[in-house]
Amino acid sequence: MSKPIKIVLTLLLLAGFGAALFFALSGQRAEVAQQREAAEVAAAGPITGLIALDVEPYFKDERVRKILADKRLPVQVTRVGSRDMASKVVAGATPDFFFSSGVVAANQIADAARQANITVAQSSPFFTPLVIASWEPIAKILVANGLAKPLSERIYGVDMAKLTALMLDKKRWKDLKDASAYDVGRSVLVSTTDVRRSNSAAMYLALTSQAVNGDIVTDRATAQKVAARVAELFKRQGYQENYVNGNFDDYVSIGIGKTPMAFLYENQMVHYALNKKGVQPSMVLIYPQPTIVNKVVFVAVSERARALADLLGSHSELQRIGVEYGFRIADSGVFMQAVKPTGLAVEERLTQVVDPPAFEVMAEMIDVVSKEMSQ
Amino acid sequence: MTRFRHVCVALVLPLLMLAGCGKKDEAPATRTAPAADTPVFKVLATSDLRDAQPLEDMVLKATGVKLKFQFGGTMESTEAVLTGKTDAHAAWFANAKYLLSDPQGQARVKLQEKIMLSPIAVGVNESAAKSLGWDNPAVAAKVTWKTLTEASRDGKLRYALSNPATSNQGFIALMGVVAAASNKAEALNAADVDRGAIAGFLKGYKLPGDNSTYLAEKFIEQQGNQRNQLNAFINYESWLLSLNNSGKLREKLTVVYPHEGVATADYPLMLLNDTRRDDYQLVVDYLKGRDAQAWLGRQTLRRPINAEVASGMGDLFPKGDMLVELPFSPSRELADGLIDAYLNEFRRPIASTFVLDTSGSMNGGGRRAQLIEALNYVAGADSTLTGRLAKLTNRERVWMLPFAGRPGSITAFQVPAGRPLAKGVQLQEDSEAKQQVLAQVRDYADGLQMTGGTALYDSVLVALEHTLAQRAKNPEYQYSVVAFTDGENTEGRNLERFKAAYAQLPEDVRAIPVFMVLFGEAKEADLKDMVKTTGGRVFDARKTPLYAVFKDIRAYQ
Repeated sequence: MSKPIKIVLTLLLLAGFGAALFFALSGQRAEVAQQREAAEVAAAGPITGLIALDVEPYFKDERVRKILADKRLPVQVTRVGSRDMASKVVAGATPDFFFSSGVVAANQIADAARQANITVAQSSPFFTPLVIASWEPIAKILVANGLAKPLSERIYGVDMAKLTALMLDKKRWKDLKDASAYDVGRSVLVSTTDVRRSNSAAMYLALTSQAVNGDIVTDRATAQKVAARVAELFKRQGYQENYVNGNFDDYVSIGIGKTPMAFLYENQMVHYALNKKGVQPSMVLIYPQPTIVNKVVFVAVSERARALADLLGSHSELQRIGVEYGFRIADSGVFMQAVKPTGLAVEERLTQVVDPPAFEVMAEMIDVVSKEMSQ
Repeated sequence: MTRFRHVCVALVLPLLMLAGCGKKDEAPATRTAPAADTPVFKVLATSDLRDAQPLEDMVLKATGVKLKFQFGGTMESTEAVLTGKTDAHAAWFANAKYLLSDPQGQARVKLQEKIMLSPIAVGVNESAAKSLGWDNPAVAAKVTWKTLTEASRDGKLRYALSNPATSNQGFIALMGVVAAASNKAEALNAADVDRGAIAGFLKGYKLPGDNSTYLAEKFIEQQGNQRNQLNAFINYESWLLSLNNSGKLREKLTVVYPHEGVATADYPLMLLNDTRRDDYQLVVDYLKGRDAQAWLGRQTLRRPINAEVASGMGDLFPKGDMLVELPFSPSRELADGLIDAYLNEFRRPIASTFVLDTSGSMNGGGRRAQLIEALNYVAGADSTLTGRLAKLTNRERVWMLPFAGRPGSITAFQVPAGRPLAKGVQLQEDSEAKQQVLAQVRDYADGLQMTGGTALYDSVLVALEHTLAQRAKNPEYQYSVVAFTDGENTEGRNLERFKAAYAQLPEDVRAIPVFMVLFGEAKEADLKDMVKTTGGRVFDARKTPLYAVFKDIRAYQ
């Protein structure tokens, strides 16, 4: 073997060894780093959260879990009713975050936190308007009676003041003009959930109280008076579902015979349409005018939960997955593009939007209606 | 290096678990062989769900959760959940609306999901439907509970229905009747109840019972178009369609959905015990998934809640027009008032001969105490829902026939009728006169002395003869014989000779069932043999709570 070849071979061998050594060492370093990371996360534990039913599938989504794990913000969530969350604010035993289905419940949590001297931060990475899920024949009856108007194809807007007045007037479907498609003796009422248990019903209370009052209710005395007036819109329904999916199931699976009009979150319908890749042709959305846009409110208690809140609101993939669950996000183009192929018609720009009354006023009204219901 | 890897795995694994990396679709492979010590996931279920029992195995295979059903009537199961007296981890009821509209019930139920749907409907013999004009879909679509009430009142509809005081179907039927009669556009109140409508509707109530399995068997036996036969069955659509498919009917049933009076059972599965949340979620996910929904739809003929699965099964269910629902009134006042009025005023009053074993052998094993406890129970002051069901009702007649070596003398008791309300229904307190009679029954029981032999069959025979004679005098009562015994027959006729004597009695005796409440272990087989001849049932009071014994006896009375 010639000397130069020997040298080359030696060099090659050395290089090989060197590389092997290098890779071995760096591999070990990576493993050490990984180990340290894992240990850190394991030591810190997952971020614990109490969440509303609405966002449960989102957190169960493998893609969401993966992104959160990659960002070292893994979560461990438990589903509870939004109304029950405030009672879980206990000094020393509060979860890292709450993800409530609405502003009212979030404010209740914030209020409880204030009393317990806990600082919290609220943010809302997703939102969705409250809608009346209905049926084409019903929408047409409402239009014929001057209660609603078509906004665009298969999208309607209903005048909440007029509708509320008609319902309080105890009108039956068959009393209405051109009602042959729904010629039944039942009262005109919107199906809601039980206001004692559920956020969407509270939003319905907010809208009808405003319709009766002519403006957002701002003081306790008016709250009591108006709530007593609209309480019958809940009571006369008879049994109401305890949770918003129950109302949704009735609408989708039992149909027009039970729920001609169901008060739901738009995201429930959108999620259903995206999943099923379509809806029944007679299903239409009627947007209350005005309506309330429900913000799914993230209440961060711990530092890591704050980081999670920032991520949920800014990470484009996490935002996009939110749309898959039917929520609207800041970028309305992404939302419209996703919904379009399903054939479910949704209103892109929500024009008439109001805020629910302040937390104390809302609590007062819920209390009045709850008492009426229990009688 | 290998040790290093171990450490690594040990550290990474919890991270993976936290991040939920275990893929869902891989999981069943590891779940197929659950450990023998997997804790049972106990589900309190209404008895109409018996046909869904194969789900126990299906759920175990698919999820590894060891699901076990425990069946009971709607009312008793509701009470068990409300009072927290059940140790079940979950409950699955056809209808849980009373439970879920009660604040206490809401607090017991941690999570809930509807699993499937079945509207309550009326199956009418095809030929009867034809003569009523209901074979024409346009006419049938307009049949209301009012129409059904009128047909029952006029003797044109003779139906089977489970007990309105203990079951959802029976109760909903009554609600439909009073809602249609009130002509109200929304949920009803106790004061709205039209009493005449209840009476008219119940004229057609010919076959009571406490569960759908029993009713279906009896309906198959008694179906026909003669005046003494049954021409209708009110039940969940699923049971009516299943009967139509069974090939056992003399003629098929035309299924009629009362216009603006449909009540759809939505079968919520409810988590009661929060520590079993994970198991609950697995079961719900499975039950709402494609396989289970398709199975429930095809095998039990309940409509899938999963809209996608449902859309592929349209051919299994009558299409018809839209089913307009009856607004469901959650008023407890109405429910309590309606059940109370049904039991104490509207139902066919009950008359029974109680055959009481006072032989010496009853002194053993605390059996005398058990007998006295049983009598005190039916004449007691238990005002719970279940207590009210077992208790002697207004107008009820009881004859006590004690026996030892031979039949003793008969003592008669009659509970007075209440004062009917002019309007509506209301839960009534026991009148003073009623309280007096109940006290007399309890005193009678307390004074029983046990001595001598046991002439059981002779005494049952005397009771039947006595009851038969009473029945001839007052045919509007519902008659039965209830014997309390330790089962040992030592004197008089034996079983063979009893059967021979029974055969000699007039044919009408077959309308009088004999219920045996057994306090001892002796000769249970003989007693079962006897009730095969007489009709009725044997209840083992050592194993079954008194409430359950009487609730069952009531259901057949």
